[in-house]
Amino acid sequence: MPQRKEQHKRRRNEWYQAWLLCAPAVLVLILVTAYPILYAIWLSFFQYDLRFPDQRIFIGLDNYINILTSAVWWQALSNTLILTVSSVTLELMLAFPLALIMYHTLLWRYAVRAATLLPYVITTVVAAFAWKFAFDPTTGFINALLGMEQAWLTQRWSSFLVIILTEIWKTTPFMALMLLAGLTLVPNELIQAARVDGTNAWQRFIKITVPMVKPAILVAVLFRTLDAFRIFDTVFVLTSGAQDTETVSMVGYNTLIVSLNLGLGSAVSVLIFISMLVISVLFIKGFNIKNL
Amino acid sequence: MIDIRICLISTLCIIGLIILTGCNDQKKGKEVTPTLSWYVFNEPSGAFAIAARNCSENSQNTYQIKLVPLPADADRQREQLVRRLAAGDPSIDIIGMDVIWTAEFAQAGWILPWRRETMKEAKADRLAAPLQSVMYRDEMWGIPYTANAQLLWYRTDRIEEAPATWDEMIHLAETLGESGTIQAQGERYEGLTAFFISLLATAGGSVLDTHNERILLAQQPTMQALSTMAHFANSPAADRTLSTAREDQARLAFETGNSSFMVNYTFVWSSIQQNVPEIAPHIGWARWPSLSTDKPGRTTIGGINLAVSAHSRYAQLAFQAAVCLASEKHQRIAATLGGLPPTITALYDDTEIRETFPFADVLRATLRDAVQRPQTPLYNDVSLAISRTLHPMRDIEPDKDYIRLRDAISRALNSKGLL
Amino acid sequence: MKKGILESVFWAMSNVLIITYAVIPMLWILSLSLKRGSDLNDQHFFPQTISFEHYRNIFTDMQFPSAILNSIGIASIAALFSVLLGMLAAYAIVRLEFPGRRLMLAGILTTAMFPPIAIIGPLFDMWRITGLYDTWLGLILPYMTFTLPLAIWILAAFFREIPWDLDKAARIDGATTLQSFIRVMVPLAAPGVFTTAILVFIFAWNDFLFAISLTSTDNARTVPAAIAFFTGSSRFELPIGSIAAASVVVTIPVMIVVLIFQQRIIAGLTSGAIKG
Repeated sequence: MPQRKEQHKRRRNEWYQAWLLCAPAVLVLILVTAYPILYAIWLSFFQYDLRFPDQRIFIGLDNYINILTSAVWWQALSNTLILTVSSVTLELMLAFPLALIMYHTLLWRYAVRAATLLPYVITTVVAAFAWKFAFDPTTGFINALLGMEQAWLTQRWSSFLVIILTEIWKTTPFMALMLLAGLTLVPNELIQAARVDGTNAWQRFIKITVPMVKPAILVAVLFRTLDAFRIFDTVFVLTSGAQDTETVSMVGYNTLIVSLNLGLGSAVSVLIFISMLVISVLFIKGFNIKNL
Repeated sequence: MIDIRICLISTLCIIGLIILTGCNDQKKGKEVTPTLSWYVFNEPSGAFAIAARNCSENSQNTYQIKLVPLPADADRQREQLVRRLAAGDPSIDIIGMDVIWTAEFAQAGWILPWRRETMKEAKADRLAAPLQSVMYRDEMWGIPYTANAQLLWYRTDRIEEAPATWDEMIHLAETLGESGTIQAQGERYEGLTAFFISLLATAGGSVLDTHNERILLAQQPTMQALSTMAHFANSPAADRTLSTAREDQARLAFETGNSSFMVNYTFVWSSIQQNVPEIAPHIGWARWPSLSTDKPGRTTIGGINLAVSAHSRYAQLAFQAAVCLASEKHQRIAATLGGLPPTITALYDDTEIRETFPFADVLRATLRDAVQRPQTPLYNDVSLAISRTLHPMRDIEPDKDYIRLRDAISRALNSKGLL
Repeated sequence: MKKGILESVFWAMSNVLIITYAVIPMLWILSLSLKRGSDLNDQHFFPQTISFEHYRNIFTDMQFPSAILNSIGIASIAALFSVLLGMLAAYAIVRLEFPGRRLMLAGILTTAMFPPIAIIGPLFDMWRITGLYDTWLGLILPYMTFTLPLAIWILAAFFREIPWDLDKAARIDGATTLQSFIRVMVPLAAPGVFTTAILVFIFAWNDFLFAISLTSTDNARTVPAAIAFFTGSSRFELPIGSIAAASVVVTIPVMIVVLIFQQRIIAGLTSGAIKG
């Protein structure tokens, strides 16, 4: 009996220690994440504009109704979805060959890996400016290179193209790295055995490599999708949302920081948050991700 | 197992660091001579810096003016300012206010009204249009410093006489072919709103009623303005990149020589003299094109007024400093050095000014007829509503867009629109 | 073998392609930053004449040097805080069993998926009331939103690999808890901690949305925000040269760090995914 009490006490001690260790981190996160989001939800039920600071009126769900009946919101949502789906799909398609090359390469291994890290760690704003200037009809080299006369950022679809290109350029390496990590998990013996059995490279790829890399792919795609949904920096620099390329984050920023309409802007933020939750849930349920 | 002691020590260290960081942000304590921070866009020629220095020296040590530069873009300037003002920042003293912010800042309680005596003095020697831009609810909220308005610039070696109307100009430009491009501003920003309002005023219309509270937008003038915009944007005479062109892009394109017309502010004059001296002798100027031959064209007024922040710790000193900064001497410097038109009437007859601005008479006439953009606290939203509805110009359909415009502006005025 | 040569050529070419892909935009920005102002529109990829005027411009402009200082300070402190707090939490998660562990992990994951846009409104309001607007702390705290979960995640992955029993062995050998901690644990944990610090620093350095929403002047404005708001030489001009020069200056340190520590960084980024 005293032994079990002893064990019990020790476990309790362990719990207290653990909570104490986690406390600072949890406190900070509550302060900077949980509290603001609760505050945002609270604000979203008010009409609160900092240009008329004395008027703070409770209006219930009016802000939400306003947003959901606004063409601007739906346009932005569809833009965001277009950008997200295109970027992530194209990235995945590019990341695979990239990962395979990085996996098999021996001589240039370090150079290639360092090179693929660069786009990822460069400030998004810098990358966006680089591509903005590249596609500029008077200053840029793209038009000269392709022999075209296009004013890329003046039309909707060509603007989308430039935005997606910038995004892909920047984050494909990250996807490739994730895939590479997954590839290293594929046991070589399996591949060799299959080779001996007479399968060709494509079959080996589909039947062995892909299924084993699948969990890594799914996690990477989920993170990238959520990340792409919040796209802001690139669009801000390239078009500022003009030519109908506005994303939901831009709508949020404009309403909150430019128009100082905190009530309406908070409602936008909450809607964005909800959309991301929906995406995550759909993803996790849909692909049956268990080990998160 | 890690010792509890280590945990506690680390946590305390972290908290200590946090507090230290917080302390580092204390604003500097009392100074001997108060420093007044003047938030204004970064004027490249240094005219503002000279004014600040002069006034500081002449103040006999009562104050020092420090220039805090804002972004070049008016939209971005406003973004930066309103955030700080809404945050009650005590470090802003003098604001270089764009003419369109008066109503918004006044209503929100971010700036202080001026005394009646100063208002009378200012009324005595300043142009009417800039004066009107600082009035809101019968009070004066800033002192006019510099003005700005657009003129029509054209190539005298290609055109004999400046066109009087937009249709005439577009027709002339089309007949000139390749070199006949008209440069204007068509990006989705304040400049596009200004363009629309100018055309609307030229057609005799107005966005809001005289009390600046409800929409007017009479059908006939609005349709006329919209049709002109559509006509222009779809004509071969318009620049390909019109829908992303701001003032500077228009200027750059004009300087390459392939354009014969440009509507732009007066800053282009000194730029052309400097950058393309071979074209400079062939540049002519005229009033902003009209829509009919019996009335002259009207364009929106721009410029900088100086206001005092409501949260300033040295409001009285700030008023004094602002009067000094906007005085004749410094308006002269801003004009001759920086190419910024003055707001003091007498200066338009001054020889030095007329040398810098050979177009002084046309400019003065333009400023006399200039139109104010709607003076409502919700102007920012109204402007966004207009520029978003009308961008890109080439897609304007007058009938449909008339209704969309009315709709968008109503939502903006009710602060309900998602913009 | 014939196959050998063809294969080598293939790999060589693909590697070159990859390296070019990664490097082209930065080369372009570098070239723009070295072009003379009047040559900016000549549409050549490389500058015909090299000029350092843009670099001179940005360093004499009062805003850029303070932006660099702000960025360095804020990112460093954010990294420091995140790593310190993260270490404690990661240790607990990895080594101790306690109720709420799964909840914590899930919570951390949720905050990592957070759209920053959702909290800038409340943060702006909160900061303007408490006076933290446009201060270092006013940025460091929001940065915790993404740096802290990231730090915990990566540190947990690293800590899982450490043989904690070495600690016990040392203590059996007579060392005190503190001694065993310093002599044994710290060297083992150091690489992971260091990598986490680097990664967190880079993420904080690159943030844009918080920086432009919660700062206004060179009190706390970081480099990405400063670049986006650069003033040009005329009222209406877009300062391409200055932006390019500033971009180069802000990227070079990050690039150097990455090149030196690339192995660790890759390990850090990928450990989260596979062992996550």
